[in-house]
Amino acid sequence: MIKRIFGFSVEHPKLIILLTLIGTCFFLWQFPKIKIDTDPKHMLPTTSPVRVYNDEVDRLFSLHTDTIVLGISNKEGIINTNTLKKIALITQSVLKVKGVITQDVLSLSTVNDVIVKEDGLEVRPLLDKIPETKDELGIMRKVLYDNPMLVDRFISKDGKTTAIYIPIEPTANGKAIADLIRKIVKEVGPPEAYHLAGDPIARDTFGAQMFMQMGLFSPISGMIMCIALFLMFRNFTLVFTNMGVAMISIFWSLGLLIGMGFPVHIMSSMMPVFLMAISTDTVHIFNEFYFRFREVKDKRRAVLETMNSIASPVFYSDLTTAVGFASLATGAIVPVKVFGLFVAFGTFVILLMSYTFVPAILMVMKESAIQKALKREDTKQDKVQAGWLVKLGSLSLSKRSAILKINLILIVFSVIGISRIHVNNNMVSWFKAKSEIRRSDKILNKELGGTSLAYFVLDSDKDDFIKEPSTLRYIEALQRQLEQNPLVGKTTSVADYVKHINRVLHQNDPKFEVIPESKDEIAQYLFLMEMSARPNDLNNVVDYPFKRANIWVQLKSWDAGVMHKLIQAVQKYTLNHPLPEAKFKPAGIAYFNMVWNDEVLWGMISSFLASLVLVLGLLIFEYRSLKWGILSFIPLLTTIVIIYGMVGWIGKDFDMPISVLSTLSLGMAIDFAIHFVSRFKQRYKEAPNLEEALVWTVGRPGKGIMRNAILFALGFAVMMFASLTPYITVGIFMALIMALSSIATLIYLPALIVNFKKSLSFNERK
Amino acid sequence: MKNIKILIMILALGVLGMIWTKASNSSDALTPEEIVRACYTHFYYAGNDMKARILMKLVDKGGQERIRDLTMLRKNYAEGGDQKYFMYFHKPADVKDTTFMVYKYINKDDDRWLFIPAINLVKRIAANDKYSSFVGSDFTYEDVSGRKPDEDNHTLLRKEQLNGKNCFVVESIPKAPLEYTKRISWIDETNFLPLKEEFYDKQNEFYREFQAQELKDINGILTITRRVMKNIKTGHRTEVAFQEVEYNVGIGDDIFSERYLRRPPLEWIR
Repeated sequence: MIKRIFGFSVEHPKLIILLTLIGTCFFLWQFPKIKIDTDPKHMLPTTSPVRVYNDEVDRLFSLHTDTIVLGISNKEGIINTNTLKKIALITQSVLKVKGVITQDVLSLSTVNDVIVKEDGLEVRPLLDKIPETKDELGIMRKVLYDNPMLVDRFISKDGKTTAIYIPIEPTANGKAIADLIRKIVKEVGPPEAYHLAGDPIARDTFGAQMFMQMGLFSPISGMIMCIALFLMFRNFTLVFTNMGVAMISIFWSLGLLIGMGFPVHIMSSMMPVFLMAISTDTVHIFNEFYFRFREVKDKRRAVLETMNSIASPVFYSDLTTAVGFASLATGAIVPVKVFGLFVAFGTFVILLMSYTFVPAILMVMKESAIQKALKREDTKQDKVQAGWLVKLGSLSLSKRSAILKINLILIVFSVIGISRIHVNNNMVSWFKAKSEIRRSDKILNKELGGTSLAYFVLDSDKDDFIKEPSTLRYIEALQRQLEQNPLVGKTTSVADYVKHINRVLHQNDPKFEVIPESKDEIAQYLFLMEMSARPNDLNNVVDYPFKRANIWVQLKSWDAGVMHKLIQAVQKYTLNHPLPEAKFKPAGIAYFNMVWNDEVLWGMISSFLASLVLVLGLLIFEYRSLKWGILSFIPLLTTIVIIYGMVGWIGKDFDMPISVLSTLSLGMAIDFAIHFVSRFKQRYKEAPNLEEALVWTVGRPGKGIMRNAILFALGFAVMMFASLTPYITVGIFMALIMALSSIATLIYLPALIVNFKKSLSFNERK
Repeated sequence: MKNIKILIMILALGVLGMIWTKASNSSDALTPEEIVRACYTHFYYAGNDMKARILMKLVDKGGQERIRDLTMLRKNYAEGGDQKYFMYFHKPADVKDTTFMVYKYINKDDDRWLFIPAINLVKRIAANDKYSSFVGSDFTYEDVSGRKPDEDNHTLLRKEQLNGKNCFVVESIPKAPLEYTKRISWIDETNFLPLKEEFYDKQNEFYREFQAQELKDINGILTITRRVMKNIKTGHRTEVAFQEVEYNVGIGDDIFSERYLRRPPLEWIR
């Protein structure tokens, strides 16, 4: 069957090339329909429990998940007429920005406060009248610091920083709004410094930059790979064919994805790079073809013989890659599923091209051109490299016990490293330490209560349960408990409001900053608040029937791990201080990020493990032998174990980019092993001399493997210059994966084969 | 003869047409300022005084409700001028006996007093924010007691029918910056009551809507007895029912005092 396909391609090369072009045009034709979705949040479906519950909490307490924080700081202190005027001005301009939820923007100039005056109370926005005189400024300072709910939220303890909290519509683009806000503050200008932070900015900026960098680095990697290919094969047609196969698979799979109506998500935006990596598999065909052509000196025969000997390993290496990626679809995360399935499709396209397009191109190439290229290759590097590889092959045999021992030590060491792995995700840390987002976040977290936000919702069945003095005291105590965590900057609840009103109604006497004794008193204070404050101030912390209360917890870190600790703290507290009528449930963006971390990351890890098992099964099936299957699985396993071990040892968080990366190793390391083992077995069948066959395999198909690895490492090395840390990680680790998997295949595998030769059988089919 | 008949008909039609244009001219003769002023006095100053039991239902997006049940006493001191309000809260139960009093001045900020029964305390509240919510509802203090017509610039956009009633459609743009940037009112041509109002926010988006849902004749004064204010953007709404409305009942000046805040006048609030 396969023979017939490439046989046909060899007979009708021009027809094949034409058909390929037509197919490519068809898929390219889908591209204008492209829809882009840069929000990592959408990795979890809208029906996922955390999104459903977060939406419910937002609805119950009139909250908005996406809030941008604009910090404004002045070294001389912000309580001066000029700065306050600017705050009012900026707030006014921000309110006009489309996508901003006007009624809930909180700043010194929109937030209401109850102020104690000689003849009563005064209710007004804090910045209703901008204080001009020294006395007025003094009063302003006192008002701010007298209200604990304002300190650390609207004014830093040192008085140098304030913040405007800007909730945005769920459909709005955080980056676009942030850009408009940047323009506003630029017009208002210095001496104040402005800091923009918040999850929507990080998320949307990351999404946007990711697409930009993908667009920038995919072609650069492609170019570098072209140059490397040319240096290896000295022939432009071959370079073109190799890159052509990559492009065709990218166009076909992206075209299909777009045509089927899927949005291009941050996950699928990585498809081109992955497919480029997988398509380097065709290098093996050219590599073998060069050897064959030199031997038989007839192009047609060389092509057919090449295809005969290489068809099977190409088939199985692409098949295992495809199955590996397709098995990502076993997970629950939709964009990961889509990504896995379409990369699998792209891999099949590469396989198809290897049988059709590649031989067709080889057929239409001029023999003279090939000969010229061969000559150049011969004189330049072939002897050096092949000689070097042959030496390497014999070395791995003679020193095999040392190699096996070193490898065993490495693996044990790595397994210890793996046990130290810390699964965590922190989107802000995906930006470089010097980036504006990282710096703003750091400054605001230092000066104010924290840019990340979690909620703990007290949920009871009883109307007016929250108005009970005992409930409020419980909430108050829990807040103090949560504040024990150094990364918790501030907590706010209905208890704080009640205490503040109590104090204000009693001549601002700090003695009354306590929860009142009677339920009616609390109810009437809350009623006073409803009569004087913005309704949402209260709605944000209690629900309508006063069944539920919401504790706001501001966090100084976006680490998913912090939220885990807080949840444990609440569990421990409620266990030691039972409150039978109610329970506490976490919510908010910090909680969302934690669940995202757990589900998406663990989802990817478990899909990845599933695909490992599947690939192993496939290898065993391919060789019809358990032992050979396990053997060719070893380079992949070694690579992954060592990479993960390193992640553990250097203390890098196991995050999203690392987990994406591990799936890529699936596509590479296994290919190397399949080519090696298949070709070795072919050779052994022709000339059953174990050591000679191994050295031959290291020298000849091994050259293809080395070329593939170098090509790839080079292509990805460019990414080390990216501005997002995940790309730098990918760049560095990719080079490592290439080095490790090629070494594992070329050195470790021969040593293993010789060592276990007695228990391995060499005479099966294939 | 036939021609004469036609001539007469044409003449008659002409005269009718002239009368009709004149008639519509007479209401056209009202400037938008006059329309809004008439609406202001008809809506907020009906009678010399008024007593009503007001039932407010605050409904959030998810359909959860809060109730405000109060008696309101209002007395006018000049048409379109100063007013005094006295409010006694029956419900929610845990705020019962809370009273609230507003002196509305035409040329300065309101004075407000609140009595908190649980701690037996009367507090004067100076609030210069007329746009903050009235007892947590979607109505602002200004929606409850009226906005002076000369604070806005008014334009008559058109005349149109709303639910079968002829209305002036007036656009009012605040002279000084405000919570809203534009208000469009549908004012009934015959009785000058506002049947609908639309408010536009700082992004110039429609965000709040007032609707008169039920009108009743009470002692010869047409009164909006059911009204709703809806926040389009938050999905929150407040439904208000005016019950037991009475006009010109002779409320004495002494009612509006701190003494009655502490000991509500039972004969008025029952």
